Amino acid sequence: MNTQWQTSDSMSQSKLLAVSTLYNNYAAKLFGYIFEVVKNQSVAEQYLVAVFNDVPNEIDDFLKTGVNALCRLQMMARKKLSQFFETLDNETDRQAWQNIQPSVNNKYVAMMDPLQRQVFYAVHYQCKTTVQVATELSRSNEEIRRILKECFTIIRNGRDNERLHR
Amino acid sequence: MKDYIDSGALEVFVMGCATDEEVQELMYMKAKYPEVNEALKQLEIDMEKMAQNAAIMPPPGTWNKIEDEINDLILREERQNKPVQFRTSDNGYNGQPKAPAADQYIEVEGASSHMRLHKAWRYVFAAIFVLGKIFLGFAIYFYLENRQAQEQLKELKTEVKELRR
Repeated sequence: MNTQWQTSDSMSQSKLLAVSTLYNNYAAKLFGYIFEVVKNQSVAEQYLVAVFNDVPNEIDDFLKTGVNALCRLQMMARKKLSQFFETLDNETDRQAWQNIQPSVNNKYVAMMDPLQRQVFYAVHYQCKTTVQVATELSRSNEEIRRILKECFTIIRNGRDNERLHR
Repeated sequence: MKDYIDSGALEVFVMGCATDEEVQELMYMKAKYPEVNEALKQLEIDMEKMAQNAAIMPPPGTWNKIEDEINDLILREERQNKPVQFRTSDNGYNGQPKAPAADQYIEVEGASSHMRLHKAWRYVFAAIFVLGKIFLGFAIYFYLENRQAQEQLKELKTEVKELRR
């Protein structure tokens, strides 16, 4: 019996250690992402805490081979952030929030043209599906996906250039 | 396969807005074609670069909040999962002498408003009751005695006064 308790205790400790490692590696990146969505440091912190509190329940997913931890964390954050959009009380609030211009502080976003920026921002930061964005912009889903692909090409070229200039 | 990579399905997956069917399809393609797997890895690196560029350090103390919350959850889980142990003999498990477990605790404040006592306490309460009655009897007796003595004293004083005259 005692051995079982000790095993469960050491499992709990290893879970905590795993969460701590993930936090050390990805908290700043995830916080930057959440902050860009909610535009408020205290609210962003609450979402960050909520995401990392859920990690022990999904730790097995993180340990699977080939799983990118940051992408997994961002997906968890997206799920939580969908509640944020529900908390925007009325249509006026929602419109006002949607009209906030995409941040050009990010050098990769700054390299995109306005349409690419709009699509990237809507999918990445406003947590919309490509179908929703297509409807809003009166374009086809395929076209939106093509634009997203262009956005990633810009990011890829940006990071390749960085590598060359080092 | 190239068409699949060019379709933008990988980008949609990496950004977390793929449907369940799209995720299933991607898992299949990823397992079947190493090129899909490689393209996906590159996109994940792109996302990491993107995130790195927008990274902001969380406020100090954030990790403590997370750690406290997780420790609470773990404790709660352990309490729920811990099986009830029944005592079968005066000795502990496998006949070993009992030792108090480090994490055992006594509930000091119960939910019930009633108190349970050992039966031996009834003799104590009976003795207290009888002694109480005896002391009360003594108290009344000495009070009356005292009152009588006071009255006699008063009478004696009056008599002494009259004799002096």
